[in-house]
Formats: sequence, C-alpha cells, structure tokens
Amino acid sequence: MDEEPERAKRWEGGYERTWEVLKEDEFGSLKATVEEILFQSKRKRALESHGQVRLGMMRHLYVVIDSSRTMEDMDLRPNRLKATLKLMEAFVEEYFDQNPISQVGLITTKNKRAEKLTELAGNPKKHLAALKKARDAACVGEPSLYNSLNLAMQTLKHMPGHTSREIVVIFSSLTTCDPANIYELIKTLKSLKIRVSVIGLSAEVRVCTVLTRETGGTYHVCLDESHFKELLMFHVKPPPANAQSECSLIRMGRCAHVCFSQTLKHSQTHLDSTSEVGLSLGGYFCPQCHAKHTELPVECKICGLTLVSAPHLARSFHHLFPLEAFRETPLEELPADRFCHACQGKLKDKIVFTCPFCSGVFCTECDLFIHDSLHCCPSCINSQHSN
Amino acid sequence: MATCFYFLGKKIFYFENNEPEILLHRLYCHTHFTNAVKCCIVLHCIRYRKWIFNVIESDVQKGKASATALANMKLNIEGLLVYFPYDYIYPEQYSYMLELKRTLDAKGHGVLEMPSGTGKTISLLSLILAYQKAYPLEITKLIYCSRTVPEIEKVVEELRKLIEFHCKETGEANNFLALALSSRKNLCIHPEVSALRIGKEVDGKCHSLTASYIRAQRLSDPSLPSCRFYEGFDAIGRQVPLPPGVYNLDDLKEFGQKKGWCPYFLARQAILHANIVVYSYHYLLDPKIADLVSKELTKKAVVVFDEAHNIDNVCIDSMSVNITRRTLDRCTSNVETLQTTIQRIKETDAAKLKEEYRRLVEGLKEANVARVTDVYLGNPVLPAEVLQEAVPGSIRTAEHFVGFLKRFLEYLKSRLRVHHVVQESAPQFLKDIFQKVCIDRKPLRFCAERLRSLLRTLEISDLTDFSAITLISNFATLVSTYSQGFTIIIEPFEDRTPSIANPVLHFSCMDPSIAIKPVFERFQSVIITSGTLSPLDIYPKILDFRPVTVASFTMTLARTCLCPLIVGRGNDQVALSSKFETREDFAVIRNYGNLLLEMSGVVPDGIVAFFTSYMYMENIVASWYEQGILENIQRNKLIFIETPDAAETSMALEKYQEACENGRGAILLSVARGKVSEGIDFVHHFGRAVIMFGVPYVYTQSRILKARLEYLRDQFQIRENDFLTFDAMRHAAQCVGRVIRGKTDYGLMIFADKRYARADKRGKLPRWIQEHISDGSLNLTVDETVQMSKHFLRQMAQPFRQEDQLGLSLLTIEQLESEEMLKKISQMAHQA
Repeated sequence: MDEEPERAKRWEGGYERTWEVLKEDEFGSLKATVEEILFQSKRKRALESHGQVRLGMMRHLYVVIDSSRTMEDMDLRPNRLKATLKLMEAFVEEYFDQNPISQVGLITTKNKRAEKLTELAGNPKKHLAALKKARDAACVGEPSLYNSLNLAMQTLKHMPGHTSREIVVIFSSLTTCDPANIYELIKTLKSLKIRVSVIGLSAEVRVCTVLTRETGGTYHVCLDESHFKELLMFHVKPPPANAQSECSLIRMGRCAHVCFSQTLKHSQTHLDSTSEVGLSLGGYFCPQCHAKHTELPVECKICGLTLVSAPHLARSFHHLFPLEAFRETPLEELPADRFCHACQGKLKDKIVFTCPFCSGVFCTECDLFIHDSLHCCPSCINSQHSN
Repeated sequence: MATCFYFLGKKIFYFENNEPEILLHRLYCHTHFTNAVKCCIVLHCIRYRKWIFNVIESDVQKGKASATALANMKLNIEGLLVYFPYDYIYPEQYSYMLELKRTLDAKGHGVLEMPSGTGKTISLLSLILAYQKAYPLEITKLIYCSRTVPEIEKVVEELRKLIEFHCKETGEANNFLALALSSRKNLCIHPEVSALRIGKEVDGKCHSLTASYIRAQRLSDPSLPSCRFYEGFDAIGRQVPLPPGVYNLDDLKEFGQKKGWCPYFLARQAILHANIVVYSYHYLLDPKIADLVSKELTKKAVVVFDEAHNIDNVCIDSMSVNITRRTLDRCTSNVETLQTTIQRIKETDAAKLKEEYRRLVEGLKEANVARVTDVYLGNPVLPAEVLQEAVPGSIRTAEHFVGFLKRFLEYLKSRLRVHHVVQESAPQFLKDIFQKVCIDRKPLRFCAERLRSLLRTLEISDLTDFSAITLISNFATLVSTYSQGFTIIIEPFEDRTPSIANPVLHFSCMDPSIAIKPVFERFQSVIITSGTLSPLDIYPKILDFRPVTVASFTMTLARTCLCPLIVGRGNDQVALSSKFETREDFAVIRNYGNLLLEMSGVVPDGIVAFFTSYMYMENIVASWYEQGILENIQRNKLIFIETPDAAETSMALEKYQEACENGRGAILLSVARGKVSEGIDFVHHFGRAVIMFGVPYVYTQSRILKARLEYLRDQFQIRENDFLTFDAMRHAAQCVGRVIRGKTDYGLMIFADKRYARADKRGKLPRWIQEHISDGSLNLTVDETVQMSKHFLRQMAQPFRQEDQLGLSLLTIEQLESEEMLKKISQMAHQA
C-alpha cells in the first residue's frame, strides 16, 4: 500500500482547485510567474555549480528530521513523515553514491527533544535501516530547533577543519520550542563554520530564514512531492568550501578486494557489532596494518587510516571537473533535424541546450540528467569514439 | 544627557536628545553607513518600537539596492525635469508624479490614493521640489502635513537624500531651506523646561519664561528667571535667516545649541521663508494653533496631507468641545482666581485696566491692522468680520466680564443637571440662554477674544491652569458664531454605565469642511493622499471641495504578494457575520474560533486578528476560553491581546514581536480603530496574515454619530448607510493594509464576514486590494481558506530576488522610457 500512495484515496487529500492550474494570465500574475521563477532557479542551479571552485569533498552532514505533530499532515502523500522518510532513503543512497568518502548522521526531533537516530557514519545500510524503523514512530509534540542543532553541533565541532560541516533540517512545523535564545546558537554555529540549510514543508518561518542566511546555507519551501525531492537532492552535491577552511593532505589507503578460500577471518568492522556474523570469505585489507574490512569506505578500526577504493575516489573526483553548462538556444534557430541527441525524442520546448564542444543538441530533461547524473556529454564521447 | 557616536574613529553624531528611538533612527539614517552596519543598528532597534522597521522597510523594498549610494535618475515628466534619487522606479510612482504635475499645473486640489510601501513620499517630494525649482514664481512653498513625529522625521530624511542628490547632479550649492516643526516638547533645549516632558507643562513653563510682560518686568527686576535661548534668539536670531539646508528636529536643536538660540521660535520664524515645511496636521487644521503658527504662510503654497484617510475626523475633533462637570468645577476656580487678580490689580495698578478698556472700545481691528493688507488664513473660530467690530460694552470692563463668565458657567451647570438626553441646535441653545440668564449672542461671540485680552492684561504667565476657562470661552464663541454644522448633546450618563451620573455636554462639529475650508480657500493646491482613500469620491463631498484630479494607483507586482480571501461560512455552513443579530450566536463564535485555530496551524510567525470592538473581543475570547479553543490555539502560537491601556498594549506588542522573531509564533488580538490598527506596521514576519473578524462598523447608537449622519444626509446627500459602510470599509482597509508594507512583503488578508462578499462592501475597498479578490475567493468555507492559504504561503516562500521584479514592477530609466511602458503607465491611473 505504501508503494502506491500518490494515486490512492483522493478523498483523503485536501481541497484542490485543479482548474486553476489551467488559468491563463498575461499580466504576470501568480501561477505563470512562480513556475517561471522555479524553472529559472533550476537552471541557475545547474549553472552555478559549474566553474572551478573549491568543494568540500569530505562532508559531514547531519540531517535533522522533524517528527513533530505537524508531520502527520497529509498534504504530502501518504503523510509528511512517510513521504520524507521515503525520500530520505533515496537521498542517503544518492548521497553515498555521489560522495563516497563522506559521512551522514540522522537526528529526529519531537516532543521538544532531539535524539540521534544514527551517528555520523559512512555506511548507508545502517541509515537505511534506521529510516525504515522510524516509519512506525509516532509524531508527537513540538520540534525543538535549538536542541537538534545543538546535538548536531556537539559532534560536528570535533570534525577536522578541512572537511565540510553541514546540517540539513527538514522542518515541517511552524514553531520551535527552544530552551534558550536561538540567536546565540546561530552565532556559535557561524563561528564553527557549520552550514545549516533548511527545507520547509509548510511555509517560510522567520527563524529559519535568519538561520540559513547567517550560516550560509539555503532555505527552500517545498511546493509538492516532486519539488521536495528536487530540493532534497540538491543537497547531494558537495557545496563550495568556504575560503577560510583549512587545507591538508590526507593519507588514504587504497585496498583491493581479496578473496580467500582457506581461512575465514574476522572482519574488524564487525568486532563491535554482535548481531551479524563476522566471518566472510572475501574482504579488504588495510595496507598499513592488514586488518580486514568487509566494506569500503571506512576508517580502519586499528590504525585509523581512511580506506577507500579506486571507484570511490573517481566518483568524488567528477565534482571537481564538472561538465560545462550547455548553451541555451531558442528552438527556432535550429536547423532541420530537431531531435535530442540523447533521448532521440522530438524537441518540443521553446529552448534547447547545446554542448559548447560538440554542438550536440539536448532537450531540457536530458540536459538536467546529463548534468545531474551523467557528468559527461554523451555526444562528445560518441565523437571521441568515432575518431 | 548628551551622547556622541563614534564610527571608525570619526565622531559622527552628537545628541542632546536621549530618546532612544530618535537617536537610533538618526543613526540608522546616517548616510555613511553600509547596510551591514545598519543591520546591526536594526538589531539593536528591535526592542524600540515598530517604526524603525518601517524605515528599513522603505529602504529595502523600494528596490533601491543600497540606501547609501546616491544613484541617478532624471525623469522627464511632461517637460519637467525631475531628479529622482534612486536607481529604480516603480511604474506607479511615475504615474503618480504625472498626476501630481497636472494638479499643480491646474493650480487645483487633488485626491490621490497609492498603496503604502510604494514610495509615495519620495515621489511627492521629488516632483514638488522639481516644480519649485522650475517655476519659482508659481509655487514658493511646500507644506507637508503628517501625523506623528516619527513620520515627520522620515519625511525629512527622504528630503535630505533628495536635496543632496539634487545638488550633486546640478552642481549648484543648495539654496533650499526645509525644516520640520513640532511642539515645544520636542524642540525645547532649555535644560529645566525640556525635562518636563509633558506637552502642556513645557508650554506653560516656556510661556512663564518668555511672555512679553514677563520680559518687560525683568527689565526692572533682573533677578527673575529667564530663558537664555529665547533671549539669544530675540537679540540676534530674529534678524538672521536660517541658512539653507535640511533641518529635522535634532538638527534644529543642534543648531540652536550652537548659536544659543531657541530652536522652537527659530523654527516658527523660519517657516515663513522656508521652501519646505514639514509639520503636523494640527498646525493647519486646529484653529487655535493654526492662528498662531500658520497664519502668515504664503498663498502660493502646495499643502500635502499625508495618510489623510482620517482627515475628516481630525477636522471634526479640532472643532468639537466636550464639557463635563469637572471642567466646570475647574472653570469656577479659574474665575475666582481671575476675580482676585483683578481686585489686586485694581488696587495697585488701575491704569492698566483702563488702558485695556480703551483698547477694547477701539475694537480689535487696531491689533489686527495687518489683516487688511494681506489675505490671512482665516480663523474659523472667529470670522474676520467680527474683528472689525468693537467688543460689546457689556463685557468691556474686567469685572463685568468676570460676572458674565460666572453667569454663563452657572447656566451650563444647570444644563448639566439633566436626567434625560437633550439634543438641540446652536440657535435653540442661544435662545434658551437668552431666556434663562439674559446672555446675548454678541458678547458670547467675543468671549474667546475678550478672555485672551484679559489674561494678557492680568499678566498671568502660566496659561496651563486656565485651559478649562479657555475651553469654555472657545465654546461660547463657536456656539454663537455657527448656526449650522454643529449640534449640542447633553447626556446625563455614559451609555455603558447608565447608573452612574456623569453628565457631559458634547458640542460636536458635524461638518469637517468648516475646519478645512480656510485651507482650501487659501492655498493654491491641496493634495490629499493616503494608502486607503477609497471610495475616492466621498472625500471631496464631505470636505466640500472640488478636486481637479482624483486618482487611485495600484501596485504593479511581479508576483501576487497579497491574498485577500473572504470567508463567509464555517465548515458546518453556518454563515459567519458579526452583525448584531448573530453576535451572541454560539455557532458563529465557534466557527470564528475554528478559523483562527486552523489559521494558526498554517500561517508562520505572526498573525494579527482584528475585532470590531473591545466589547465584542472580550465576549468572543471568553467564549473561546470556555470552549477550549483558546487552549488549542496556544499549542500553535502565543496569544497577545490589545487593551485600551497604552502601556499594556505596547508591552504586548513588544512580546509579540519577540515571539515572531524567535520562531515561537504569535497571535495579536486587537481592535479596529484601536492603536494597533492605525500606525503600527506588521512588516514581513511580524504579520503574515491578518484576520478581520466582522465588519468594523462604528457604534451606531451614539447620538453624536446619529446627528452627524443626519447632517450628512441633509447637507451633502450622503445616505446614512453609504457613510457607515464607507467608514467601516476604510477602517477594515486600514487594518488589513497593516501587513503589506512593500513589494517584497507578502501576507494573507482574511475578511471573516459574509457581508464583505457583497458588491457594495467590496467596491469600497482600495483598488489595489480589490483587484486581487477574484470570484473564486468570495464566500469561502474555513477549510477552503486553509487550503488556499497553504498554497499561497508555499508559493510566496519560493526565492524571490530583485531581478525578478526588474522590468515588471521595478524600472530602470531605460525601461521607463520605452514606448511600451509609457503606454502601460498612462493606462494605469484610474480616473474615478
């Protein structure tokens, strides 16, 4: 039932005025302009992320999930909490896919308290399990922005200076119950260079505006599920590092997967966990101390070396050499064949996108896909091959 | 306490004044500051009053990227070169200037409505300044009337910016003199006198130091106290004109300090030759003050009444007199003092009284020679022809006059001993007084003038004690001068407390045109402007003048940032209304509560709710409490309530703002026509929604109102209902207008009464609100309202940058001059 929540039970949803979407207006009023603005910002995001900027590649991110009473609101299907958790699962996967050497932690806040769902860790499995478990939790009371930020800050402030410290708050409530003046906390966060971004689920709240503005984060309010997803996925990309953050060389161990047939060896990763079986045939060995680990990336439990594999580094790498933004050109300027070079579909939008190197033409959807996921121009690669 | 401010090691400010808000405001407006510094100042300001927010708002929202940089814009308004000190201009500002120019060209009066936060003040100032520069012979003076001291300061700051820009552009040295004028309370720099802080006391004390006979006495007895600032002004300052420049109240004080001259008298003298004067309404409208201050202002002036939606009430208040038993008691003691003083003087200095008598025989004309040679601002209290005549014999001698006053007082006392309500016209009253105590109409007419002369002769320095008798004498003069437009109502008790005897004699003016008539007659152009003046045609009617331009401008918006919704039904389909029959209805109250509860769960930060009266609010809130609605609301937001007590209210306001600021969220329950509904702005998060519970009709059972309605019907052919609706709707518009203070702001306006959906109500809202009420937002249920609000708030929370506005609702000079835009603008002004 959870799989098809969007289409089910329309009568449970709110009062909608679907006919108003079709309203035509040439005076630049509500519907048309807001959508225009949204489209602009979508484009802008694609444009902004390009260029040679220093990025915080090793990220430490806490996601604060509001689990207060308001999360039971059903304006996101089936309700705000379930929709959020579902998107969060996708987010966690995507996040580790794009930032393999980063870490994430989860915090929930309800009943004026904040508690850690998971500690900062680089392993998606644990987070996913925690998120699954959180689905059944009840939404009660009020959230506390102060407590959750404070909790995240306690951990983040010990993170090394060359890594980025981030908090993303998914905030559904319009109020926060704080034990002390939150503006003092904002000052502390700012001095610790912790970037706080907020995704609002209902409306713009003043304190979040100030919070994000002061700490250099972003503040968005979602319009519907798809917009929510977009806003969340925006945080997958590593943010530009601020100029003052330290630089340092990091030693990393690159280890290859080795398979053993004779001996089963305890993996170091599982020493502290009792629930799972700690014996496996294959694994990764730390090049420094030869401790065995079943999964990468991980920090070696014995010698503290960061262990990664080659694909991880490569995947982090592409952020540094992003694909250049494509040129926007109106459809009319295009010669005869009006087909997208990627999806081969007919170009219908008024604006198409052209790769500056190979002059390949793409539709809006493909442009976004290329920049968000592919990170290289298919047309360019094609021409390389033919050469 | 003097305060210096240092910024980057440079001394930038020197204050004699220790009022924190003025100080911070001045600091804020200082042009050397960057926006970052201003933000810091703002944070400090937050605990001091809302209007500081307004200032910030006006800078930010005008899209003027930086408040400090003087950018350039030269506009061509039908051949007139106007310097506009900002980078960008709103289209409506341009058309506003266009209309204004036409009004000035025609030398007529105008009524202009433009929403607040769209830069009305700067448009007005820059156009009139340009006009003055271009045609110095046509217009020699601008008189800008505003309501409160902070507003006056704001205008002066805009003016300063404008003149600075003007000088920079033209390269000429400034030869303009612009200044603000306020009461002695705000301008006095005498250390002892200014410490008094209460207007009347300051005036009285000042008078006791500077009155002419006191100063004459001092010649013989130098030990008497004096004000060195006034002496300094009198010795040198009178001959030396104030150098050109822009002076606000603090500048005047500073200048006065430096030179050792009294700033108040300096300003009063300077307004005669100043190019721009900014002061309060009362200096023009209140006959008692206007006669002193504004009498000699030139005819070739433009008078601007800003925020003038209540101007008729100001006019009426300035002409009305209320007399209670307490007033009469104080009068009696005043008369006794007069009598003993006369007795004493008679023994010591009989010649003085004789001299006065002689003067009175010759009539008042001698003292007023100037009146013949020039057209003065007529004093509505005392028509010019009266001044030609001699004071009637029966009150010429001091004793006779005192006897006369005594008789008059006794008569009034006897009138107050009534047990039922009496209403009569002025002629009836005069006839009665003649029959009862043989007081004729003529001596009554001279009463005010005669008293003034007597007080002068008796050398009574402290006039504050004599306010009661002055009031009575003014009443006598008014009642005998005007046979029409006034009514006398004597009520033995207040309506609310019918058991307690508290007799009041209301001498109430019903015709606002009486007070404002001299202004219209005398000055070349009078501009009445405000954010809410709809329906526009009613103002010319009730103020009895013929405007050459009547126009209403809307906000051009890049996004629809206001969302007026009319809620007509509860979820159970019960019609929502505050009308008298359903006032006590349980279902209506419950549904109102439900509306507020639901809204408190959707609207972030601040909500302001307005009720029609304190009594209604008390009833409803009590009922909500019993039903547990209040408790549920408090789970979402804190609740604050406005009370008639000013201190309590300002405390509530402060806490309300704090709660909005730190994310707790709050609701302010207040009353239409109360302090909050007029003049306190709820910018941005301080007011994301305003809910108007009911239609704020004025209390219709009041006899004064009834008399006024009758008068309006007879004299101006305005039907009672039309006027009542007009009055209710202008207050409703004022209330809901509190949330939108500019184009970057956004807010919900919820009208919770099904009567708003009717065309006669809706049609009386200002055009800029009206045009956003679609048919789909009439007569909604609470649920629908919540859904629409949610949608609206989400839309508005999307990022909105200045570039989005540019070209649509914010124009650069190039864009403005484009053909297409000019065409659009010319269509914009709505000719009513």
